Amino acid sequence: MRTRTNRFSRFHLLLIVAVVLSLVAAACSSDDSTETSAPSATTAPSSDTTAPSTDTTAPSTDTTAPPDDDVNNPGVYVHAADDDPLSLDPAGVAAGEAGETIILQTYDRLVEIGPGGPDLIPGLSTAVPTVENGGISADGLTYTFPIREGVTFHDGSTLTADVVKFSWDRALEMDLPEGNSSILADLVDSTSVDGNNFVVTLKDRNAAFLNSVVTAAVASIVSQEGVEANGGVVAGQPNEFFSSDVIGSGPYTLGAWNRGENIQLDVFDDYWGEPAKLDVRIEQVPDDDVRTLGLRAGDFDSIETDPTFVTDIEGAEGVTIFAEGWLLEPVHIGLNLDIREDLLPDGDTVPADFFHDPRVRRAFNYAFNYDNFVEGGLSGQGGVVPHYLPQGMLAYDDSLPRFETDLAEAERLFTEAGWWDDGFEMTVLVEEGGIFEVAGLVLKDSLESLNPNFRINVAAVVEVQFDDAHAAVPFEYATWIKNADPFADPAALFAAYIHPDGEWGDVHKFRNGYQDADGIAALIEEAAVSVDTDRRVEIYQELTQLLFDDPMWVIPGNEKALMAHRSWVQNFTMNPLWPRPSLKFALFDK
Amino acid sequence: MVEAAARRPPASSPSGPLAIRVRRFGEITKEVLRNPTTTIGLVIIASLLLMALMAPIITEANTPDAYQMPRDWGAINEPPGTPGHLLGTTSTGGDVLYGVVWGARTSLRLSVIVVGITMVVGTIMGSIAGFIGGKVDEIIMRLVDVLLAIPELIFALAIAAVLGPSFGNIIFALTVVFWVKYARIIRGQIIHVKHNEYVDSARVIGDSKLNIYRKDVLPNSVTPVVVQATLDMGNIVLVAATLSFIGLAEAGLAEWGVLVSEGQAGISAGRWWASTIPGAMVFLWALAFNLFGDGLRDVLDPRTEGR
Amino acid sequence: MQIREYIIRRVMILPLILVGTSLIVFTLGRVGGNPIAIYLEHEMTPDEVAQIEERYGLNDSLPEQYFAWAGGVLRGDLGYSGVLAAPVMDVLPKRLAATLELSVASAIVAVSLGIALGTFAGARRNRLPDHLTRVFAISGAATPIFWFAIVLLIIFWVNLGWFPVGRSEPEIFESISHPTGVYTLDALLAGSFTAFRDAIWHLILPAVTLGYGATAIITRMMRSSLAEELNEDYVDAARAKGLPERLVLRRHARRNALIPTVTVIGLGFGFLLQGSVVVEIIFIWPGMGRWMADAVLRGDQATIMAYVLFTSILFLVVNLVVDVVYAYLDRRVVLGS
Repeated sequence: MRTRTNRFSRFHLLLIVAVVLSLVAAACSSDDSTETSAPSATTAPSSDTTAPSTDTTAPSTDTTAPPDDDVNNPGVYVHAADDDPLSLDPAGVAAGEAGETIILQTYDRLVEIGPGGPDLIPGLSTAVPTVENGGISADGLTYTFPIREGVTFHDGSTLTADVVKFSWDRALEMDLPEGNSSILADLVDSTSVDGNNFVVTLKDRNAAFLNSVVTAAVASIVSQEGVEANGGVVAGQPNEFFSSDVIGSGPYTLGAWNRGENIQLDVFDDYWGEPAKLDVRIEQVPDDDVRTLGLRAGDFDSIETDPTFVTDIEGAEGVTIFAEGWLLEPVHIGLNLDIREDLLPDGDTVPADFFHDPRVRRAFNYAFNYDNFVEGGLSGQGGVVPHYLPQGMLAYDDSLPRFETDLAEAERLFTEAGWWDDGFEMTVLVEEGGIFEVAGLVLKDSLESLNPNFRINVAAVVEVQFDDAHAAVPFEYATWIKNADPFADPAALFAAYIHPDGEWGDVHKFRNGYQDADGIAALIEEAAVSVDTDRRVEIYQELTQLLFDDPMWVIPGNEKALMAHRSWVQNFTMNPLWPRPSLKFALFDK
Repeated sequence: MVEAAARRPPASSPSGPLAIRVRRFGEITKEVLRNPTTTIGLVIIASLLLMALMAPIITEANTPDAYQMPRDWGAINEPPGTPGHLLGTTSTGGDVLYGVVWGARTSLRLSVIVVGITMVVGTIMGSIAGFIGGKVDEIIMRLVDVLLAIPELIFALAIAAVLGPSFGNIIFALTVVFWVKYARIIRGQIIHVKHNEYVDSARVIGDSKLNIYRKDVLPNSVTPVVVQATLDMGNIVLVAATLSFIGLAEAGLAEWGVLVSEGQAGISAGRWWASTIPGAMVFLWALAFNLFGDGLRDVLDPRTEGR
Repeated sequence: MQIREYIIRRVMILPLILVGTSLIVFTLGRVGGNPIAIYLEHEMTPDEVAQIEERYGLNDSLPEQYFAWAGGVLRGDLGYSGVLAAPVMDVLPKRLAATLELSVASAIVAVSLGIALGTFAGARRNRLPDHLTRVFAISGAATPIFWFAIVLLIIFWVNLGWFPVGRSEPEIFESISHPTGVYTLDALLAGSFTAFRDAIWHLILPAVTLGYGATAIITRMMRSSLAEELNEDYVDAARAKGLPERLVLRRHARRNALIPTVTVIGLGFGFLLQGSVVVEIIFIWPGMGRWMADAVLRGDQATIMAYVLFTSILFLVVNLVVDVVYAYLDRRVVLGS
């Protein structure tokens, strides 16, 4: 009986050894032959009819395979995202929210931002209004949109100028707090229908109306019949149907929204323009490592790409990294000019007027190590931003003044301001993970290596804590790091980030610090309403010089527009002016 | 609740004078070391502790905070063997060797503090419940039931997310989660002793509660508490590493879990070192304490004695 | 009689524990974070914030809010999940089914592997195979799951292409109806072999990852109780009768050793529940754990409350069942001997 037991054990051991060896062998062999194994591996996980064991059989058995069998998931474009929408309603989606991209693919707007850059192309309006074509009145207040004929909504109803007016009025009437209708309400005085034309009258001239408002998700055109059949319009209340479903006129219909799993978009056959070629599945993949692995495996055609992992996918077989143009959302380090000492985290020693002194703000700008951030945080896929125009925006010029790391200058300014000998301790608020945490660490290392009396604590908190603290007034931290909201036009950017009474000017009390707050405000306001592009460029460049002398932010860097995708995707393009992930799937094929 | 109720080990004989205890300790040690896996566990633990204690000698401590990774931004993603970076660097220029060595210190600090506090808190709560009994017992034990019903990781996650991910808050979150087992062990022991005859006789003689506690309850609880503490030493580091993976870790901390999750993306690009080396450390730490705790339990738990 | 009293007692305590857990979690959420942070945008005016607060009933006092939530639970309304943009009750059944499916599959891996290893080791106590088995089993519990899972994905998904991630191939998943929400079961009910294979194919990697972690608990219990059984008189008697060692092991010792092993399955289940958080994140498994982690990071109160409520119930029910089964089995053992 001893021998029996022993044989039993030997068998087991043998089995274990065999399994381990085969795993090791398999792992090694595939490592060695990445180039050759990559395309063949693509058949296994996705194809439903072939058993995994047939993976090793000769390719000649694949007689039933469709012609484009060399790609995974033929006929479906799979994008791996990291964020699920909160709402799909054009009237209920906030700027920068994940629902915007679904609205972009499934609804149309009067004019659209074209694939190549900031230029506008006709959408449901057959022409982009200009002063020359008579679409914009001489006083710059009235816009006329000739409405396209023969456009059908997903529910079969037909587009008319009345439906356009209905859509805009709907967003204005619902006026949802989480939505973005205020950008309409702020500018639009009235809307009307004139035959087959939709006419908008503005309260005031505005240079960015077409680029920033008419192309926004909130200005999408919805099916009037669809709305009336599904709850109508109720002021202040989200519409349950449209929060989770779509009736638009875009190249895609909503196939399914499996919350937290995937969103499926189906090709809309009756689309008025060039129809889409591939169905789309947007997969929710929370872990970024898994997204990069899926791209390598070929199961994802493109992935939400963070610059920190570019070096992890560079050179992978069958993968291309698209890096053209700029993201227009430079990373910002906010400097609080309204510090409440009693609200600061324990240990912080900075006084209320710490950042009132422009020398301190300039010293931070000189101390920050931009190279470390661009190399370590953005994997080299980025650049330093002049104060205060990001690359790719109107009026940007390579010659504009920008900060460079200059430790001697930083030391001089800190000494003059009286902080060099005493030192300070300060907490910087960031959301954990990704480039913002890296920016925080660079800031920490920059200042702490400059002077051992300086202490920077990086508070890397989870999303909810960050959002909560970031929205709090008064602000409870001396500094914080996040990227700017993407703006297509400098008017909106300057209003939110530079104007002394703007969104952040108000929260951080820029008036406590600006040498000439009124002068800056006047220039920003003039540029916002001017329709003379040359004059606008002149103003923004003048502001850039002013802000270099009196900066309100430290700008660690601007990201390239980045997207890693399978090389088999044809016509791949991305435009950072489109909402994240900045793709229009209808353009792609594979 | 189940595993203890199902088969409670009979209390070992009440301990005698010091000499007997010392001899028994010697016997246990010999017994423990007879098992090679336990010995391996012990050897690994010893080397990890040595590494943690010698951290300032092995690598120069970072200033101002030695528990923060030193970052060499000029040397990002360098492979092992790079001069000055023996085990390579991370994607933010962190020195992997420094992370490994000081990570051991972080793990030691974390687990010793958490195990220390939870043992004390658990003992106090369990004693109160066991001795006072009645309503107090009922309330405490229901609290214990409640805490046991929420998986440890989830609860620690929720607490740490609310408080913000600093090292102190992680310690607090783990403490809240880990004390209950000790309370149950101590209470169970007290109840057990209470029902035992020799305590009855002690009571007849007029012994005080404190004396019963000192002489009967504590010595008998040492065994399961020590075993539990050993296992927890390993598991706490594992749970903390998991919290780091989900995103709850102090920024820039020299901690193994932080390094693993930071470096994971690089594995498929061939940069295995930044995550695999610290991952192996977490594994060794948890494995060693589990092997040792397991062996200890085998020896101390009379049920499996007598081959 | 005793068993029935025990069950009644435990079931009576259940609501008490649920109230306790929900109170703790509720307080934790309200003390530490803003429950509508997920909806807040910086440029919102105070009026707009107030409008949202009113919509979610946050203007009431805390006790009122708690009772409103508890009342909702009794009516089957668990509130609105911010991260999934849907009422909790709309998405919960599907998610719960996914997690249960994964947990059960992992439990099957853990229990079968654990019993096999435990038997193997218990019959060879203190010899090399025993020591190796112990190291192998404990390694499962000591490996950081998130690292192990990524390594498995690199080998089996990226390099070999043997296994996919996710729960299903969408086209196959949609080709059958889902009365139970458990994919394997639904595939069997629909009689679709393709769907069943798809389900199993997607289950293997996450179940192995998770199950391996829980193997140590089972192995340990099986090994020690088997060793104990092998010392029993009836085993000696069987051996004396000339029964081969393998049959002694199979027919007598192992069967009896299984009984105490049942008790640790409850413990293992707790391990599976918390391991599922990480495994679901990495394997893109649409279950409760991943939902929960997302909810914690983004401050989705309704989801956290629902999750804790259901895991508490699950955990307690599993332990109750285990207790009862054990008591039942144990009595039979007494009767049988």
